[in-house]
Amino acid sequence: MIRNRLKQSVCALALLSCGHSLAHAGDFNFSGFMSIGGGFVDDESARSYAGYAEEDITFDNSLLGIQFSSDIANELTATVQLTARNTDGFKVEAEWAYVSWQATDESTVRIGRLRTPFYMYSDYLDVGYAYPWIAPPNEVYYLPFNNVNGIDLYTTGTLGSFDTTMQVYFGSFTDELNERGVDIEAKTRNQLGFAGTLAKDWWTFRAAYHMAKLSINLEALPDVPELLQTLQGAGFSRNADRFRIDEDDAKFIELGLNIDTGTFVAAAEHVELRFEDETLYADNIRQFVMLGVRTGDWLIHLTASKADDEASNLSQGIPVTPQTAELIAELNAQAAGEANKRDVISLGTRWDITAGTALKFQYSDVDRDGQKRQKVYAFALQTVF
Amino acid sequence: MSKFKAIIAAIGLILAPIAAFAEVVVVVHPSVAFDSMSADEVSRLFLGKSKKFPDGSTAFPLNQDEGMTARETFNEKICKKNASQYKAYWSKLVFTGKGTPPKDAGDANAVKALISSNPNMVGYIDSSLVDASVKVVFKLK
Repeated sequence: MIRNRLKQSVCALALLSCGHSLAHAGDFNFSGFMSIGGGFVDDESARSYAGYAEEDITFDNSLLGIQFSSDIANELTATVQLTARNTDGFKVEAEWAYVSWQATDESTVRIGRLRTPFYMYSDYLDVGYAYPWIAPPNEVYYLPFNNVNGIDLYTTGTLGSFDTTMQVYFGSFTDELNERGVDIEAKTRNQLGFAGTLAKDWWTFRAAYHMAKLSINLEALPDVPELLQTLQGAGFSRNADRFRIDEDDAKFIELGLNIDTGTFVAAAEHVELRFEDETLYADNIRQFVMLGVRTGDWLIHLTASKADDEASNLSQGIPVTPQTAELIAELNAQAAGEANKRDVISLGTRWDITAGTALKFQYSDVDRDGQKRQKVYAFALQTVF
Repeated sequence: MSKFKAIIAAIGLILAPIAAFAEVVVVVHPSVAFDSMSADEVSRLFLGKSKKFPDGSTAFPLNQDEGMTARETFNEKICKKNASQYKAYWSKLVFTGKGTPPKDAGDANAVKALISSNPNMVGYIDSSLVDASVKVVFKLK
């Protein structure tokens, strides 16, 4: 057992010390990243926050990623990025798997499994080394699906003295989603999105817009079948239909700003997820602002983030009478359960031990609407190679 | 005596960085059609924001290996990034398929040898190594 452990550590060390960082030999590229982290909370009776749930310190927030790419012909490259997470029992998953065609110096077409460009940090969401925090603010970076199977066009250019990038994609995904302890199927079809950035010197502005037909069957959630029976029995089948998100139009909007002068860093992002019709799901309105100072190998940052969801009106159309009061209350409770109201302040440090390895600590104060405050302490050692 | 030692040490500290900052120059093949580049043009090539020389021909930037003094100097002054920031910058592009960093080609002599045999390559070397096999297009101040 010990020998086995030792072997594993030696393998890990060999990976870590793989001298040729972001190595590329000939037309075959290999690179990787790793995050070993954990933390604890001061109140484990509260809901777990961003994967941290216990009062005792755990080292359970780790992930390993490796990426291979190989030129398969002139201007054609195949890329696969595999990640394994502690939280998924280190099950290996392909976050990216695509063939790209460098159409011109300024434009690339990619086809396959891509990372959906929802956010400013979406592209390198798993590469903690690339940003200040252990993970980007949970209030904004909350979407359970970060990938899309499809095709995209990525172009770079200049506009006067600004550098621009543009990404347009079309695709779909089908995945399992764990909602209130129940696994349910979720899928998008006709998912179409656009993301653009405008950059100059030390600042970058980003905007993105996505739309899709979203289907998630919520009828199997706890307590919901009984509720639906009551609704249908009372003739409110339209209200019951709201638990079946069936090809509903959803849209996602993002605005982001990133500043890095070398000494001062700042970032801000605002996102909105909105559903065309009333469904069980709330409209999500989320944002964060981060300010930081870099001195030598240290970065200290302060982040305020906010979830300010708008609960949907599930009981819309049901006349208010003494007989329906209980039903309306139950529907409102269901809708409120999906709407997050939360303010989080976090203070973090990043220490660049060497080029390619950073040690991070983060303290977060989580203030949920109407609940006791919770403090979360986290750390991570993050590396790229 | 101890004061004297401290003064010597202080002078050493002041002089050390000056000695380390021997002049670094950006070089290309002698046959290329242009004679100079701006700091911005050089930086755009080495940060993957541009893939072409001022005359429109394709450019392959070469890095010296990690740990080389010239590389640190070049990245600080031209790319405006220290070693960690430089690494973070490229990891944002590498893991998204949006860019590949300049190849690490070895030490200054290895870089010079590659450039002297390929008109599409560009790199930086210590000015003391410059001879007829390469052409200087930019001098780091």
